[in-house]
Amino acid sequence: MSRIKEVLDTLERLREENPEGISAIDVAQILDIDRSNISRYLNILYRDGKVEKLEGRPVLYRTIDIEKDTFKERNTPISKNKNSLDKMVGANQSLAISIDKAKAAIMYPPKGLHTLILGETGVGKSMFAELMYQFSIETNILGKDAPFIRFNCADYASNQNLLTAQIFGVKKGAYTGATKDREGLLKKADGGFIFLDEIHRLSPQGQEMLFTYIDNGFFRPLGETENLSYVDVRIIAATTEDPKSNLLKTFTRRIPMVITLPPIRDRGLSERYDFIETFIKEESHRLGKSIYINKNAIISYLLYDCPNNIGQLKSDIQLACAKAFLNYKSQNNNYILITQCDLPNHVKKGIMNINQYRNEVEQLLNFNYDILKFNQSEKPPLLMEIDKYTTEDFYNSIEEKLKSLKNMGISEQDINEIINIDIETHFKEYIGSISRHFHKEEISNIVDNKILEVVEEILLLGEKKLNKHFSEKVYFALSFHLERSINRIKNGEKIYNPKLNFIRINYEEEFLFAMKITRIIDERFGIETPVDEIGYLAMFFATDSYKFDKVEVPKVGILVIMHGKTTASSMVEVANSLIGTDHAIALDMPLNMKPETMYSIAKRKVEEINKGEGVIILVDMGSLTTFGDMIWEETGIEVRTIEMVSTSMVLEVLRKSIVGYSIDEIMEAFKNKHVYKYRSNVLEEGNNIKDIIVTACFTGDGASKKIANIIGKEISNKNIDIFTINIIDENNLENRLYKLKDKYNILAIISTISLDISWAPVFLAVDIFTNEGIDKLNNVFEENEMCLKISQSLTEHLPNIKDKKIVKEIRYILYEVEYKLGLKVSIDVRMGIMLHICFLIDNLIKGVIPRKFNDLEEYKKTYKKEMKILREIFSPIENKYEIVIGENEIGYILKTFLSNQISVY
Amino acid sequence: MLNIMLVCSAGMSTSLLVNKMNKVVKEKELDVNIVAVAEADVKSNMDKVDVMLLGPQVRYLLPNMKGLMEPKGVPVEVVDTVDYGTMNGEKVLEYALSLAKEL
Repeated sequence: MSRIKEVLDTLERLREENPEGISAIDVAQILDIDRSNISRYLNILYRDGKVEKLEGRPVLYRTIDIEKDTFKERNTPISKNKNSLDKMVGANQSLAISIDKAKAAIMYPPKGLHTLILGETGVGKSMFAELMYQFSIETNILGKDAPFIRFNCADYASNQNLLTAQIFGVKKGAYTGATKDREGLLKKADGGFIFLDEIHRLSPQGQEMLFTYIDNGFFRPLGETENLSYVDVRIIAATTEDPKSNLLKTFTRRIPMVITLPPIRDRGLSERYDFIETFIKEESHRLGKSIYINKNAIISYLLYDCPNNIGQLKSDIQLACAKAFLNYKSQNNNYILITQCDLPNHVKKGIMNINQYRNEVEQLLNFNYDILKFNQSEKPPLLMEIDKYTTEDFYNSIEEKLKSLKNMGISEQDINEIINIDIETHFKEYIGSISRHFHKEEISNIVDNKILEVVEEILLLGEKKLNKHFSEKVYFALSFHLERSINRIKNGEKIYNPKLNFIRINYEEEFLFAMKITRIIDERFGIETPVDEIGYLAMFFATDSYKFDKVEVPKVGILVIMHGKTTASSMVEVANSLIGTDHAIALDMPLNMKPETMYSIAKRKVEEINKGEGVIILVDMGSLTTFGDMIWEETGIEVRTIEMVSTSMVLEVLRKSIVGYSIDEIMEAFKNKHVYKYRSNVLEEGNNIKDIIVTACFTGDGASKKIANIIGKEISNKNIDIFTINIIDENNLENRLYKLKDKYNILAIISTISLDISWAPVFLAVDIFTNEGIDKLNNVFEENEMCLKISQSLTEHLPNIKDKKIVKEIRYILYEVEYKLGLKVSIDVRMGIMLHICFLIDNLIKGVIPRKFNDLEEYKKTYKKEMKILREIFSPIENKYEIVIGENEIGYILKTFLSNQISVY
Repeated sequence: MLNIMLVCSAGMSTSLLVNKMNKVVKEKELDVNIVAVAEADVKSNMDKVDVMLLGPQVRYLLPNMKGLMEPKGVPVEVVDTVDYGTMNGEKVLEYALSLAKEL
């Protein structure tokens, strides 16, 4: 420390003689200390606000001028007398309520409230948590030394033991790998805050432990049997989960304060401008240099689509600053200037939205000059601990790399290219996920994340190397393709590319690039990609220039036929536009159209689109499933049928057809894929099935047995069995329940934690111990008895329904409707609806045409989501009985539910 | 002649119940006329009604219908769920007749 003081004294002493400042080299010579050490000391002094950096080469330092210092304070009065929370952008606008809540949570006597912060990725949840901590220190609610422990549950999500151990601590031997006693973070946070990010990644067990702490103030480290740990910690949890999700309900019930942070698109342009200003100032502060920015670049930052919110905006700004810094250094410019060219591609597009926002932007950027200066001496209002990982070190590394490359005699253009790649890789995490954010969400349901990551990486590289911009289509298609071919290669299946030589010759550059990236794929997935596959990859990189139509062998035809006025055409439209083709053809079959009519239309269409490679027909259900074989027999055209079509299926078929897969290759993927999902939802045929109650806890042995005992007494006079099961893995749990459901009639599930089961009532074990819970359970029994009576006499009135279990089947479905619509109706209403549906099914099988629903179009518009939910719930029934319930009837059912609802969950 | 009206959401389930009730009417040679009407059509059939019964699934109509019909001296009630569910024509008919008697 004394060395630092020495440096400061020296600067102070020489200030008079050198008003322009002193370089690090000079100080080093005077004090006879190594220059790199001096630079480090100077940086520390600079960071502490004791000295200032002056622009120029070499950088000069001088102690801070007191007069100027006061001027600065006057210049930015905001930072005075204000606490951390109130300094946030939007503190008086979009964040006003959130900040009030945060303060209330902190000051609430005696020990504050635990808090849950909700919001999309990048809205600033971590920052908000940290500011809450700072606020509680500023207001003396916590001592200066109070800890702030930050932990991201996603970091250990793949090893739940380790995750729980991290938070709660562990006794040696608690699980394999726990080799010694270790204190948990909760203990370390004693007297302060713990910030648990991505709390939804915490296992049910971890959740329970956390809730125990919240409720009782103590916890038990893993494997600890004797002692309880008492700590005084304020928990701030954060998650991106949808607040309506079931999982989150558990949290919102237990954590008293819930703060929702708005996404950037809801925060208005003026707040967005404040962010841009703050972030540029931060960079300027870090660099110790003023940053200039072109007005158009600011407009782009104001208006581009920024799905990952403030976090993205910030990294997009940092990226541009780094590029501008590179130009400044390599071209010996006099100032750091950010222009449109320095912006990432997706940001550049922002300026195209100017017409829509012209007035607002003009009001905001109310000046005539084209370049804006952000002065280094203006401190950003908040400098966060969080930012340390993107500190000035990054700029230093750019500078160093630049120097060494120059010394190696590499040309300036090459240097720029090399370092630009560095910069972009540094921010890759953001750019990659951002520009493709929209579809990534969608695709990640279908394609493995690991593959998506690799594809992003590959395309990013490709954009650099091949100097072209890949659309989202390519991203999508390549992800899809890669998943399939990695599987094929792993399974030792052959890949054949008939166009291999053509591609090799005509698309040499793309082919070479494909060879290169194959190495990444091979390494990542432990496979050996054959050359034919490399050919396919090359085709993706050549997509925009490669005209398949002219050279390609004819493609397999694709025809989508579905019930409903627009179902097929809208599905095909989505698929075609994503792949960028019009190859897939749709045929809509209105409900009143006779199958024969549809058949002849379909046959004509197949003949028309067949190019000698055969045609794949994708259908939803019913008589349509038989069309393919009939057409094949009649016309001799090879026709294959895929049932229960979904958009992702159309996409997969279409994509493969476009790149030239044969009909057999395309069909292979659908061999077993689509059947399973629906089957388990419908009861098997069978006569007497037993009524059961399922009790569940983690071990299947402890709590669940106890509950079973208690319930057992209640139901001893009823003919009901109790099953106890464990909840180790929730996914598996649902399957196991399905299996039980196939064999038994599950009346209710009683569990120690809340389960995401929609088709049967789930009670929390805690509730069962109250009278109210027992009442609820009794209601279930009452309803079941009613069902039984009705079922016995009803089935004789349903001549067309062979399965006598229809009543119980519908009962599951009605639970599902209530659960998914988030409403409840009384038992008699439920019975009434059940009857209605039974008769409806019977009538539909008989061929009775459903009634019209008045103003159906209007109703559908108002209840779009609900209609969709109901259609999905009823689709297994439609499949089982080979009927189409239709939107009119769905409308009636929905209306009955909505009109009769008695309470909201 | 006693006019009984049965209301349900789309006329799916009530028609069978009406048949069963009519069977009882015939057996007992009663002077009763029974119609089943979907919820949407109630308004246009309201004139010739002496007793109105609602299917359980349209229970939500009860307050509204009571307000509309009781001033005219027409009782309105919801059918018992089990009687409805088991399509017990006899019991439902008895219920309707008892309501009519109370008048």
